[in-house]
Amino acid sequence: MSAAVKGRCLCGDVAFEWSGAPVWRGHCHCESCRRATSAPMTSFVCVRDEDLRWTGAAPAVYASSPGVERLFCGACGSPMGYRSEKRPGETDLYACSLTKPEDYEPAFHVFYAEKLGWLHIADDLPKHEGGGG
Amino acid sequence: MTGHPDPGMPETGEGRCLCGAVSYAWRRAPHWASHCHCESCRRATSSVMASFFAIATGHWDWNGAAPKEFESSPGVRRTFCDTCGSPVSFSADHYPGETHFYAGTMARPEDYRASYHVHDDERLPWMIPGDGLTRVARHEDYDHT
Repeated sequence: MSAAVKGRCLCGDVAFEWSGAPVWRGHCHCESCRRATSAPMTSFVCVRDEDLRWTGAAPAVYASSPGVERLFCGACGSPMGYRSEKRPGETDLYACSLTKPEDYEPAFHVFYAEKLGWLHIADDLPKHEGGGG
Repeated sequence: MTGHPDPGMPETGEGRCLCGAVSYAWRRAPHWASHCHCESCRRATSSVMASFFAIATGHWDWNGAAPKEFESSPGVRRTFCDTCGSPVSFSADHYPGETHFYAGTMARPEDYRASYHVHDDERLPWMIPGDGLTRVARHEDYDHT
């Protein structure tokens, strides 16, 4: 992946692009991510900070727990990223803010133990009860 | 929208954003609930689908701070928490008399029940529902009888 991959929030104020291979790609079912996105699950693509460039307005930052930052667009509210001190130098971006989310290739589910009972996805990806790894 | 079958959700309930600054409560059972796959709802939540339920105007209230409003297109109002960013609600001139809330904000999201998937023509290829619910392109395409 040499060409830059681009993404943006709903209103377009916050935008990003990165080049290079993602660190990982997967769906998260944890309650915190569900509340941050208000969706039944969310889908991340983790990239290295050295590969990532914010190209529009800087996202707003909310410290959801010690050492954890959640980024969002201050104008339209779209969730824009997740950062944790436990994984320095990495930012988790949301697959559905990509310009072409149809190209996303999820590799696994994490925190499947917290999956909502009414959510059923017909895939055969590995399902980790916790954070995986 | 009227004439929807009761999706079977609780008659009362509460919801909140991630940080808790914004919260709401409803006092009448939602009259419809569905999963939306449209691009705008995907971008608003940055997630693969948005799961909504509709409460009639006058049967719900904000409990905490009111959320920030963003007009995503003319006559369409989306709200989110200005502190933590959580999407909270959707209302639009073309859905008079009701506000749509996100299932992910519910205090008890396990109580959510959807009747169908909508804007299935915009569904992402890697999101394959396994729930057996009807999938339609438009709300009007769902058999509401």
